[in-house]
Amino acid sequence: MTGTEIALMGAAFAVGLAGIGSAIGVGIVGQSAAGLVTEDPDKFGQTLLLQALPGTQGIYGLLAGFLIMQEVGVIGDAPMLELEVATGYAFFMASIPIAIVGLVSGIYQGRVSGAAVGLVAKRPEELGKGIVYAVMVETYAVLALLATILLLFGIDV
Amino acid sequence: MPIDDTIYAYSVGRVRALETRLLDQGRFERMIDAASGEEALKVLTESDYAAAVTELDDVHDFEYMLSAELKNSFELIRDISPRPEMIAPLTLRYDVHNLKVLFKAKYLGVKTDLFFPVGSVDLNKLEFAVSEDDYRDLPGELRQAAESINEDFLVNRDPQVIDLILDQVLYKQLIIFAREHNSIFLEGLFVRQIDLTNLKTLVRVKRMGLDREFLKKVLLPQGSLPADRLISLIDEPLESVITALNMSEYASLVDEGVREWLEKGTASRFEKLTDDYITGYLKKGKWKAFALEPLVGYLWAKEIEVKNIRIVLVGKINKLPAEAIRERIRNVYL
Repeated sequence: MTGTEIALMGAAFAVGLAGIGSAIGVGIVGQSAAGLVTEDPDKFGQTLLLQALPGTQGIYGLLAGFLIMQEVGVIGDAPMLELEVATGYAFFMASIPIAIVGLVSGIYQGRVSGAAVGLVAKRPEELGKGIVYAVMVETYAVLALLATILLLFGIDV
Repeated sequence: MPIDDTIYAYSVGRVRALETRLLDQGRFERMIDAASGEEALKVLTESDYAAAVTELDDVHDFEYMLSAELKNSFELIRDISPRPEMIAPLTLRYDVHNLKVLFKAKYLGVKTDLFFPVGSVDLNKLEFAVSEDDYRDLPGELRQAAESINEDFLVNRDPQVIDLILDQVLYKQLIIFAREHNSIFLEGLFVRQIDLTNLKTLVRVKRMGLDREFLKKVLLPQGSLPADRLISLIDEPLESVITALNMSEYASLVDEGVREWLEKGTASRFEKLTDDYITGYLKKGKWKAFALEPLVGYLWAKEIEVKNIRIVLVGKINKLPAEAIRERIRNVYL
């Protein structure tokens, strides 16, 4: 495999795993919310907000993938680079934080948000607190994205 | 990896909404303070029972309303549960109840319509089986129980075998089910119910002045309180029963409930405390977001709600003082 291919694999890895995490997370909250809304349709707006929360990991993954693609030259005006294998691996490594943390935190954020749907069922006025709990999980996805970006910017091509 | 627990997400979300519609303690207080049975029933018109209440011609017919409500709740939970088979053992109790009623009606000529249309076996099928002595259509364990009751009764003519055999079968099945499905939660629930049934049996046998041999025969073997320990208590005075059990988790229940039962002769306090005890156990799992616990808890909450409505209405119709009704009202699950 060439260095460029390895780097692009990193992009796919970031978008793919973080996206899976978000899909599972959003899926969990969607099920909880559908259960609640079956009985109480007025809660749609509040539960939609909760459902959106685990969606960010997928966006972060896409952002990381986008940055790699741009640096490698798959997108943009610059021609595609012929990377050394070692540089290719550097891109791949840089994608790991957001890929793995995105996957796991997306799932867990979905679980917290799903539990918060139960909170909204009982005490709709406390939606904010439910959101805060879910956003606590978000912190680690943000930190992972930060690590991925710092790594990407540190690679000399 | 264990089964993905998020399969419960939808059903628990829905149960959360259903829970908000359960009657709270305040509602029962208002029912108790109502001037008559009719007035108490009116309090229910502001709840999920509204439609059923308006259809009721006479307050005395409230049982139909309650059994319909229970039936609907069980059907709903079974429908929304990702694993409906986990709800099945909870309905087995009603099959057993219905069978008991049918057998008693048959052998003792007691006319009653206290059936619950909640069980897993259709009531007509049960009725047909018992009246025709043909149990082939019943599920395995019930069939065996029914056959042995029939045989035993023809020989011994002792109606106690009905409760005895059916309870033994019920709890044996429940424990087997919980273990087969690796449900620590359900096993914990059933073991507690067995313990409470055994405690009740102990006090009853004690009060009837029956002997050890009889108690040995009727105690359920799967409880957490060892049977021989309970048997050894039969000739002991009340205080030693309380002392003997004060290290078990039922200490306060025994101290309060059994004391009142043995001293005043009424089991109503004990019955209330046993129900509250199970409510307490189920409440521990109530807030799990992805689990069977909230579903089972909700069904229990409905059973308690129905029981409470019955206690209040029966009390009101019979003009019991408010205090007497209040004492018997079970704690709500909320």
